[in-house]
Amino acid sequence: MRGITKVFGPVVALDQVDLTVESGHIHAIVGENGAGKTTLMRVLYGAHPANEGSIELNGQPVSFRNPEQAIRAGVGMVSQHYAIIPELTCLQNLLLGAEPSLIINQQDAKSRATDLATQMGFQFNWDQQTSELSPGQAQKLEILKLLWRNAKILILDEPTAMLAPEDADLLYAKLHELTQTGATVLVVTHRLPDVMEHCDRVTVLRGGKLITSIPVSQTNPSQLAEQMIGVSVTHHTLTESHPGAPILTAENLTILGDKGQQAVKSASFILHQGELVGIAGVDGNGQRELFHALMGLKPFQGTAVLDGQNLRDLSTQQRIVSGLRLVAEDRHHEAVIESWSIVENTSLGLHRLPNLKKGLGINRDSQLALATAATEQFPTKFDNIRQSFRGLSGGNQQKVVVARALQENPRAILAFQPTRGIDLYVADLVYRELIEATRRGITALVVSFDLDEIMTYCDRILVMNHGILTEVPPELRHDRQAIGRMMVGATP
Amino acid sequence: MKLLGWRQILLALAGFGLIVAALLIAGAVPAEAIQTVVERALTRPAGWRNIIKEATPLLLLGCSVFIALKVGLFNIGADGQFVIGAVCSAVVALNVPAPINIPLAILAGIVGGCLWAYPVGLIKAYRGGHEVITTIMLNNIAGFLTFYLVSGALKDPNSQQPSTAYISDLSKLPNIIESGPLRINIAIIIAFFVVIATWFFLKKTTVGYEIAATGENPNVAKFSGINVNRIMIRTMTASGGIAGLAGALQVLAYEHRFYGNFSPGYGFDALGVALLAGGNPLGILASGTLFATIAESTNVLSRTGVPKGLSFILLGVLVIVFAAFRYRKEANRGSDS
Repeated sequence: MRGITKVFGPVVALDQVDLTVESGHIHAIVGENGAGKTTLMRVLYGAHPANEGSIELNGQPVSFRNPEQAIRAGVGMVSQHYAIIPELTCLQNLLLGAEPSLIINQQDAKSRATDLATQMGFQFNWDQQTSELSPGQAQKLEILKLLWRNAKILILDEPTAMLAPEDADLLYAKLHELTQTGATVLVVTHRLPDVMEHCDRVTVLRGGKLITSIPVSQTNPSQLAEQMIGVSVTHHTLTESHPGAPILTAENLTILGDKGQQAVKSASFILHQGELVGIAGVDGNGQRELFHALMGLKPFQGTAVLDGQNLRDLSTQQRIVSGLRLVAEDRHHEAVIESWSIVENTSLGLHRLPNLKKGLGINRDSQLALATAATEQFPTKFDNIRQSFRGLSGGNQQKVVVARALQENPRAILAFQPTRGIDLYVADLVYRELIEATRRGITALVVSFDLDEIMTYCDRILVMNHGILTEVPPELRHDRQAIGRMMVGATP
Repeated sequence: MKLLGWRQILLALAGFGLIVAALLIAGAVPAEAIQTVVERALTRPAGWRNIIKEATPLLLLGCSVFIALKVGLFNIGADGQFVIGAVCSAVVALNVPAPINIPLAILAGIVGGCLWAYPVGLIKAYRGGHEVITTIMLNNIAGFLTFYLVSGALKDPNSQQPSTAYISDLSKLPNIIESGPLRINIAIIIAFFVVIATWFFLKKTTVGYEIAATGENPNVAKFSGINVNRIMIRTMTASGGIAGLAGALQVLAYEHRFYGNFSPGYGFDALGVALLAGGNPLGILASGTLFATIAESTNVLSRTGVPKGLSFILLGVLVIVFAAFRYRKEANRGSDS
């Protein structure tokens, strides 16, 4: 790819980027959110036509106008959000859009699919509904979909984001095997350990520009991080935790999931004043249900007590007034109203606090002060505090959402993937602010699917697997492999 | 917060252009027709009287629909709630002595409207039954039930038609201005203040903020500690109450009795009134008056042989033009995300 430039309206997403990928390599593309990694890949496989630049494949100039043309030429991509239709079976998903003939011979297709899967060392029950697949299996199915279409160049966007460490290692092992048979793999990631351990070459993008492209053997993680962020990363030491009195106590919480299964099984924990506790685990192991139950959005069995008040007796509204805060997982569907202004959104949820009340209405001065404080907590870019929330970038939106939870004297903050979609630099800031807040006498519980994040910042680590919550023993606190084993239910 | 933006002005102009086009199609001479409208509807006190009379239910029902729309419910049932409110009010006005007759009759109308809307909120909140379906059903029930009542139990024995007796003068709402053919009933003042109150309630109170949040995104509202079911039920009930009030005022101020097929479709016109008002309840004052003026204009024209159906064409196109503006704006806004 040479001189690729891509412009979205006023935004230059890619500026004269060159990329050369040798066949048979695993090539990593790294960079922060918004660096242009995904856009570059989308240009490559035809989802976005480039404004400038040329692409050559095996020495032949090509230009794909859509992904169908790209896949016919052997270039395919697995997006971060899987393109699997949950209502269909595994086999139907595999065949979709690439049916061998007008009338599908089920038996024949199935045996060919099994052959392909066996080659890769995967196992599938082809008649299973894909809605029942774990994230790891879904990803395997996506890779098979590309191989079924004879893709020779596979692009994977954040392939390990949803996987436990062991599954991630397995995935890379398989990708290595694929490259032995002549395939080429491009991996978009922000996880530097993956890059160092498994990739041959790495390209760093920053702000839509190519920074460097070198063999992995000639670089190291801190150099890469520096190149990604643009400033040298200083490792601050985290202030030590001195846990005080318990704030939030949960005993034997059992919570039913949407399908009636026990999503959380008899979970108990105590959150003390002055500590940040992390829940490690693969997505879908009951973290969501636990948070929803604590916020009053889902019923639970067992007891949960916040500062001496039984949570069961409190509505969501009363829990917020008592100091419980949630950084919701899904910004657009749970946290903000995009058509509203920044001011209106920062008061959302906090609007019944005594501080914001004035007669029958909301005290406009306090509301504005609250919004100002929330946007100043993290460096947030916006034109006007009364502009619509939609106009903010995803990262800036997330900053406001996290900052909102820190306002108006919280007692216990529940944060679900609080750094989702924000830069490493700001992510670091988010955790530091959370930690500082706990040191001032509150408590916080964080769910993250990024184990490194949890290991870096949390004072204590809990692991959630199939609804069972266990605490990582202090002596294993820094043992990545041991925590990884706990995440999949094995003994540490 | 603007009451009349360029968009609304443009809309009025477009409406004017459409009047001309529709008149030509109907075979009338536009200049003559406009002259007729101006002379007989817009510049004569009798015309003003009719416009004010027509505007009263439209303003109130506009508020009713608007408030429900804000919480995310499409209240097509304002017409049924209006009819129920009217019949309740007529019964009380006919049977309760002065001086408590008028307040009680108004209250009865409000309560009747509330009761007719409450189940809609319940069904929506707890069973997910769509309010459009349930309100259409309740409209039919309201229409047939009241027709049955005024054909039987409530029928005035001296009348040939399915109608109640006329209410006594003591039960009538007074005119505040009465000079020649110009009559302005206190009902229009009440309607005006209901619009102002609706604006205050939705824009200035915490409950209004919660209603707006629920209407924009019920799930986000739930996560923000808002009791979405409760607020939907209450808002729907309030919407019905305002529609019931409109029915009561219609009886007490203008019709002075209740009869079969009481509503000429005010509840449906109100959907257009609320839609045309845009994002601000105060816009109802403009859109309600516009609707009333168009109704009176076509009424006058019908006497010169132009079909009365013209108003439907006009209102329909008006609503479509407005919707086009509005959703175009939203589509533009959405594309940059």
